[in-house]
Amino acid sequence: MSTTLYPESVNPVVTNARDVDPYLGTLSGEAGGQIAGPADRHLEKNVQPWERLPEPLVSDPTYYDRPMLKAPVWSWEVPLYYYTGGAAGACLVLGAAAQLDHSGELNRMIRRCHWAGIIGSGIAAVLLIDDLGRPSRFLNMLRVFRPTSPMNMGAWILSGAAPTAIVAGIFLRRRGFWRFVGESSGFASGLFGMGLATYTGVLVGNSAIPVWQASRRILPLLFGASAIASAGSLLNLFSEDAREGRITHMFGTVGRIAEIAATIAMERQASRVPLVGRPLRSGPSGFLWRAATVLTAASLIASLLPKRSRKKQAIAGVLGTAGSLALRYAVHTAGAASARDPRATFHLQRNNSAGEQLRGGKNHDTL
Amino acid sequence: MASAKGFFTDTTLCIGCKACEVACKQWNQLPDDGFFFTGMSYDNTVQLGASTWRHVAFIERPVALSTQDAGAFSWLFSSDVCKHCARAGCLESCPTGAIIRTEFDSVYVQPDVCNGCGYCVVNCPFGVIDRREDDGRAWKCTLCYDRLREDMTPACAKACPTESIQFGDLEQLRSHAEARVEKLHGDGLHEAYLYGVDKESQPGTEGLNAFFLLLDKPEVYNLPPEPKVPTKGVSGAWASMAVAALAMAGIAVGAVLSKGAGRR
Repeated sequence: MSTTLYPESVNPVVTNARDVDPYLGTLSGEAGGQIAGPADRHLEKNVQPWERLPEPLVSDPTYYDRPMLKAPVWSWEVPLYYYTGGAAGACLVLGAAAQLDHSGELNRMIRRCHWAGIIGSGIAAVLLIDDLGRPSRFLNMLRVFRPTSPMNMGAWILSGAAPTAIVAGIFLRRRGFWRFVGESSGFASGLFGMGLATYTGVLVGNSAIPVWQASRRILPLLFGASAIASAGSLLNLFSEDAREGRITHMFGTVGRIAEIAATIAMERQASRVPLVGRPLRSGPSGFLWRAATVLTAASLIASLLPKRSRKKQAIAGVLGTAGSLALRYAVHTAGAASARDPRATFHLQRNNSAGEQLRGGKNHDTL
Repeated sequence: MASAKGFFTDTTLCIGCKACEVACKQWNQLPDDGFFFTGMSYDNTVQLGASTWRHVAFIERPVALSTQDAGAFSWLFSSDVCKHCARAGCLESCPTGAIIRTEFDSVYVQPDVCNGCGYCVVNCPFGVIDRREDDGRAWKCTLCYDRLREDMTPACAKACPTESIQFGDLEQLRSHAEARVEKLHGDGLHEAYLYGVDKESQPGTEGLNAFFLLLDKPEVYNLPPEPKVPTKGVSGAWASMAVAALAMAGIAVGAVLSKGAGRR
């Protein structure tokens, strides 16, 4: 993209944010292909002017309180992706589990679960692709198979979940060989669903962002629990017969309880270093985090009320869905807040080496 | 096969002229970042980013260095750059294989492969690599890969007027850096130490191919004190995920087959 430099001058010079006139010079350097729109827009993201400079602290220094890490570049689509993928994955797991019942009573539920899985993973894929800086290159995700990259493993899981669920959806009600194909494909989609619902926890935890890194062992459990609760809440919104209702109820209740427990565990874990846990306690992310717990608890209470009615179920479903969504957005915004706080990283790392002199430096620690 | 190359940035020699920043921008044809007055000493570059691959930090501290007679004040300069870690978080987390290890042991982002997923951005423990939103891809220092292939010194090191940025074979740089620290200690500058010089001193990254000689805590230079490449702990997270996934399957099967949910 070309921008005009000195537009007021007699002979405006068209450059490309490089002061290289494209008619006179070629762009063949390592970054010659880097597309640069209006520089001001690019700056907005990185720099905010100060009212005044921060006071330097001798004992707990930072570089003018500037962030040490880069904040995640992911947009609003990514937490929605965590939710959709989680709900779809847990539905596929429940669908595969329901296949174990051979009475035929659960056929409608199996189909419902498969369709939720297919549509959910389809939406998830669209969200994920649209968030890429270069969406047309999505398939590059499948160039390699790399267990150190949860993002890569997730791309494989996602591209396995939807096709197996579709095959299961088509062939499950056939007879003979095709029924066997449908059944095995259904179980396979359940396995992929297990991955789809939980890998995002590994994805988020496997990062340098302090609040995420400190919770990396809990995040897969939190996202898994939240996925169960999401699926339970989603299925609550459909009209179910008595047995299906009882299954969904049991599934969702365990998920909601586990989600609340994992939320508490993660906050405690992260708050071992106070600044690391701060985004979970204050600011917009802290509000979302609290809201998630309150909404999930409300949906749990609503679902446990003795009366059995469609309306009650629907209320529990809506509250639970809102809770799970709030949770994903809370984790997302907490990460951004945590990346902006250089001391969160510094304190986390100094705590990890408590009492241990930093290697290599003799005196600098006692300055 | 080329030998491992890297930078040794000796911050005691840096005079804050920013020739490295300019040379880098110019050689690599990086677009500008806009023009901005920050008020942070003489630093209007602010940070490394997608189109800033060298950044000179200007540190003003109310702390005296040991060779100083004057009042409690130190003015430190440091030219920051991608560290080309021995275990690189960006490379190990890249889902497309766009980030590779070159024959010079440097870490290189292939712009024709990167799909801009942004995962490297949260996986760099130094906050180096970034995605340029108008471009959509992740970018960082290439250690002047094009110049290295022509047997030339990277632009920043070539332009540095005080040899604060030294480029060469890693082994030579390391022994030279150790000697430099000893010399400084002998001269009474006891604060001098090497940051990220090898695996022993920085196990979390297994050593930096671009390491530093510093005079103050790493935090002062906006460097993490004990950086750890996130992917080094990924197996623990995968184990947690296995537990979560199996528990989910157990809960689902339990809900379907349990008496309470069964036929009555």
